[in-house]
Amino acid sequence: MPMSRFLAVFGLIFSLLVPRMAAALSKAELVELLKAVDERQRNQGDWRSLVYMEQKEKDKVDVAYEALVFRRSLDQKFIILFTKPKASQGQGYLRIDRNLWFYDPSVGKWERRTERERIGGTNSRRSDFDESRLAEEYEPEDLGQEKLGAYTAQVMKLTGKPNIDLAFPVIKLWVDKETKNVLKRQEFALSGRLLRTSYYPRWKKTYSESKKADAWYPEEMRFYDEVEKANSTLILVKSVDMKPLEANLFTKAWLESKSR
Amino acid sequence: MRGYFDTLKVIVLIALRNLFASRLKTLIVGGIILFGSLLVVVGTALVDSVDASMSRSVIGSVAGHIQVYSAKSKDELTVMGSMAMETPDLTPIDDFAALRRTLLGVPNVKAVVPMGLSAATVIAGNTVDVVLERLRALARRKLAGEDVQAAYESEKDHVRQIITVLAAEMDNIRKIQSEKAIAQDELAAVVKAVSTEFWAGFDRDPYPALEFLENRIAPLASDADMLFLRYLGTDTDAFAKSFDRMKIVDGKAIPRGERGFLFSKWVYEQQVKLKTALRLDRINDGINKRSKTIARSEELQRWIKQNVTEVKEIMLQLDGQKTASFRRLLQGELDSQQSDVAKLLSEFFRVDDANFARRYRFFYDKLAPQLELYRVRVGDMLTIKSFTKSGYVQSVKLRVFGTFAFEGLEDSHIAGELNLMDMVSFRELYGFLTPERAREVQEIKAVAGMKEVSREQAEAELFGKPDVGATAPAGKSGPPVDEAEAALRSLAGRQQRADRASQSYDPTQLEQGDVLNAAVIVKDPGRISQTIKDIEAAGAKTGIPLHAITWQKASGLVGQFVTMIRAVLYISVLIIFAVALVIINNALVMATLERMPEIGTLRAIGAQRRFLLGMLLVEALAVGVLFGSLGALLGAGIVGVIHAVGIPAANDILYFLFSGPRLHPSLSPANVIISLSIVLAVSAISSIYPGLLAMRVSPRQAMQSDD
Repeated sequence: MPMSRFLAVFGLIFSLLVPRMAAALSKAELVELLKAVDERQRNQGDWRSLVYMEQKEKDKVDVAYEALVFRRSLDQKFIILFTKPKASQGQGYLRIDRNLWFYDPSVGKWERRTERERIGGTNSRRSDFDESRLAEEYEPEDLGQEKLGAYTAQVMKLTGKPNIDLAFPVIKLWVDKETKNVLKRQEFALSGRLLRTSYYPRWKKTYSESKKADAWYPEEMRFYDEVEKANSTLILVKSVDMKPLEANLFTKAWLESKSR
Repeated sequence: MRGYFDTLKVIVLIALRNLFASRLKTLIVGGIILFGSLLVVVGTALVDSVDASMSRSVIGSVAGHIQVYSAKSKDELTVMGSMAMETPDLTPIDDFAALRRTLLGVPNVKAVVPMGLSAATVIAGNTVDVVLERLRALARRKLAGEDVQAAYESEKDHVRQIITVLAAEMDNIRKIQSEKAIAQDELAAVVKAVSTEFWAGFDRDPYPALEFLENRIAPLASDADMLFLRYLGTDTDAFAKSFDRMKIVDGKAIPRGERGFLFSKWVYEQQVKLKTALRLDRINDGINKRSKTIARSEELQRWIKQNVTEVKEIMLQLDGQKTASFRRLLQGELDSQQSDVAKLLSEFFRVDDANFARRYRFFYDKLAPQLELYRVRVGDMLTIKSFTKSGYVQSVKLRVFGTFAFEGLEDSHIAGELNLMDMVSFRELYGFLTPERAREVQEIKAVAGMKEVSREQAEAELFGKPDVGATAPAGKSGPPVDEAEAALRSLAGRQQRADRASQSYDPTQLEQGDVLNAAVIVKDPGRISQTIKDIEAAGAKTGIPLHAITWQKASGLVGQFVTMIRAVLYISVLIIFAVALVIINNALVMATLERMPEIGTLRAIGAQRRFLLGMLLVEALAVGVLFGSLGALLGAGIVGVIHAVGIPAANDILYFLFSGPRLHPSLSPANVIISLSIVLAVSAISSIYPGLLAMRVSPRQAMQSDD
């Protein structure tokens, strides 16, 4: 075999094997990576932000909301409170323990909802607005590396741990190798049916007093519905504030007090 | 003239002689005609009767004679019997007053009823959620200084009883399975909730205690239920006047000018009633209406088994006092010393053919009065949440004024699937997209700086180059959070305002505003097709493009049923008479050929061609008239017998088509006239060809053939 041909074959084998070898992460390494993804976004304290949501559906007029999101890392409590448009003002979701409540001030009624609830009828779920808890909720599995535009991403399959109410039981996740930011997700039903493809193109950071470090968050989230292909959702996160919130904020009484 | 009658007499005599001479042939041909005639009489009588009863069902319940909706609509309208979960997408007609004026301008239109059809899911919450919600409301009123102490204490007692039931259930699971079957945090929550310390501190600050119960205890009950409600928004007054089969069963009609909801009695029984009671009703119906026995019917046994195992639904309803009362009553009835009420209930529901009737009566006489038989009671406020046409969540709180049914159609699912709501609340829930709302959406999008990225371009556009902003600190983009919070402050008092507004409305509002469709009642139902044309023409003239459809079309698949049956009947009749035509024709041709010499002789002695044609025509008609009449007579007899006995409606669709539990078809002169006309026409047509054959025979030919 001439030397040049030998080198070509060797080069080919090398080029095929090396990325594989580089991508093959152990379970422990994957869990560590997930923890790093969560840690980057963790703020270990309170959180207040303004979000905008837009839902586009085939043959329908667009739906848009402005809402306030409040979070408390300590006991994983959570509120989404709609501020615009007028008809939705004061409606909100409250998460306490494993309960997700929906409140409508025009009737003063609380309704128990599940994690699969489409927030305000958009294709977003409660977990899209909350702190990332992937390592706590899912078991990872390595799917190698992939190029995603200008980024190189570590791809993994996440399977939901038992006895946790999750919006999506199976997720395929693309994490930017360099920054550990999530770039893309594909969310599946238990049957394996693809439900949603999500993109996280822009990440921002804010200094968190409680964490004593930067906390990162996706400023833009785009969800493409894979069941109703013409439908898509855009979420924009603005004006993040991590100062401590009122102690009794995460209660039904507080949300009710806004409209009484 | 006399000569004419003489000729006719000869023709008739010859024809009858011929028929009599070939009796077997006559009988075969006659038999076919008899069967055809009988089929036409019985078939048309049945189909006409079903048509009449179904039209009573459809026109008298929701559809009216004609349904009118915007011609710009994407979907076709069906007001009932639709298999789809979604309601049709109709373009709203924005000025009902103008529509009404236009329609009343059409000569045959008697009344117009505004309508809108939609559906919503009502989440009732689990039993504990419902009780805690009541306790929360009472606590709020108590803290506001209202005198609700007695009700508050009673509800508190009920909650404590519920927790005792849940704790006992947990204990059972622990005994049957293992310690690990119960989550430790759940166990800790229940231990805290049953403790005296917890309740001792409850009154001091009820809200945190309530939140604890709502978030930690209520999820353990896990019996949440959803109601899927299809409803019709309408002017309930006009509706009751135009659809006179409607009757109020419980409560009262929605008073004019008030918002409210009327459950269809069918939905109320099937979906809102306590499941144990519903199953007892079904067992009772099975035994008394469908002659089933518990010993033999697996279905009845399954319901009994469910009642025996699912007593928790009742247990959660009992407070301390009721528990004691149930114990005493059940111990007496079962002659038992058992003190556990859950076990007593299980024993009570384990019924057989011998004791069912007694226990059924006992349940309704003694136990039911202490239970909430319906999750939503007449007089309660019902919250209906729905996604509006413009995509937002909208809720309304409506008083349930009562239940209604359509006379004679009480057990029909098709007639009973729609509930009623006032038109003003319907409009609110439907959320017609106003220019103001559209503007608001545009404003939000502009402030947020939303940019569209197509699915196909997403990866290239979003990840084409590294995000330069990724390392930059968060900027002050968009309005500050404080501004959004300020907007919330303007909400203060909104609920009270909404509560006040929800009580009533100005009746003129009914007229001014959107509707999706309208039912039209006509003066003369015989002129529906013309009226439909007139309505569409009137709409075009006044600038409201309208689509008008008959009640058959508006009732979807159900309405098409009779048309389908009629088509099958007509095709069968066509086939039978086509066969009859060929057979009669062949028989006459053979008879003609056999009688060639006779025909030749007749021709030789001066018989005209017309005479021969007449002879064969009379022969065919005689068979037709005789056997056709016999068939019609027999058919009439059969219809008479069926009328007396009635055809039972074996299933729900037939119940609706028959407009009640049995169809009693009746015979109209038209049925007999149609039958005889067809028979005579077929007979006459079948004699043409043999007649022509006979006419061609010349005396010379006839004699030659004889040689």
